Amino acid sequence: MRVMASYETRTRRFSRAEYERLIDLGVFQPGEPIELIGGELMVAEPQGVAHYTAIVKTAKALEAAFGPGWHARTLGPIGLDDDSEPEPDIAIVPGSPEDYSRAHPSRPVLTIEVAESSLAVDRHHKGSLYARAGLPDYWILNLVDRVLEVYREPAADSAAPFGWRYARHEEFDASAGVTPLAAPGSSIPVSRLLP
Amino acid sequence: MKAERPVLHRWTRHEYARLIDESFLDEDEPIELLDGLLLMKEPQTSPHRTAVLLVEKAVERAFGEGWFVQTQSPITLGDRSEPEPDVCVVRGSPRDYVDAHPTRPALVVEVAQSGLRLARGRKAAAYARARIADYWIVNLVDRVLEVHREPARPGPARRHWGYAAIEMLDADAMITPLAAPSAAIRVADFLP
Repeated sequence: MRVMASYETRTRRFSRAEYERLIDLGVFQPGEPIELIGGELMVAEPQGVAHYTAIVKTAKALEAAFGPGWHARTLGPIGLDDDSEPEPDIAIVPGSPEDYSRAHPSRPVLTIEVAESSLAVDRHHKGSLYARAGLPDYWILNLVDRVLEVYREPAADSAAPFGWRYARHEEFDASAGVTPLAAPGSSIPVSRLLP
Repeated sequence: MKAERPVLHRWTRHEYARLIDESFLDEDEPIELLDGLLLMKEPQTSPHRTAVLLVEKAVERAFGEGWFVQTQSPITLGDRSEPEPDVCVVRGSPRDYVDAHPTRPALVVEVAQSGLRLARGRKAAAYARARIADYWIVNLVDRVLEVHREPARPGPARRHWGYAAIEMLDADAMITPLAAPSAAIRVADFLP
């Protein structure tokens, strides 16, 4: 019997329940930028000045566009699936913050990552994870090229890290306007999102 | 700098100890801390287990008095590594290490089948960085003993810590541990 020599090194994976217990136990330092992505503990991108400014501007612009009955969570955990609890830069969810005092929201209608050094990971890794969870509207505010990347229509793709990707991809530059799927009557100038 | 792959959280030995103290991780869970990563260990097949027992016996005889052999037990290498090598030879007696795991074994041996890449890669890097002078891999795939010596730091020639002198010995060859210069063990004695 011959056994294959090529064995992928695997790290210990964590479920979301285990991850939440780790947080309760205080194993991590408070504010340590960690997210649970597909069972792996991932270190988030450090917040630069432009990155943080973009988060604040985008959250404000989206709350204005969505109006009452919605709110923008910034850097808040999302209970995405059994082995993922990401903290997207911005997530638009129905209701008010008090509605989520017992459990994190799981299905934002719009999820946004602001990307500088994390561009590749946000596109391939997180894009695949969010598509697998069926998140309908995923935007990457790309600070490197100063464009907004809009991803929609989750579709199965065995080559993607989590088996799914977004079938549609559009790019909007600073002069364009963008309309969220869940706020069809609005149009947000991309320039109001960029730092 | 652009990260193409997600950057994984690196655990410290202190955090790892807390996971065990809080019974978050079972002591018997097949993982080890290597360079901050909690790695799953190679599954214990029967040939693997047999080789571990054979190596244990052979090196115990070769080193003799003043040393002891521990199998699949932790050693401490710096702040972010607490591996559990299949076999390692430590100076003194077990009671010398009641308060802390051994840190400088004279010989480390890993038995590798499906985990060959890990043994040659991340593990070799961690052992070289800890200046383990004598690191052997009982390679069950090719039935050879790989002898790794001369820890070498990263530089123009290598991206990571590693060993500058690597020798492959087949079953008929003899091997002498660096720390037991008068001993000679036949490689065949290690092979299941």
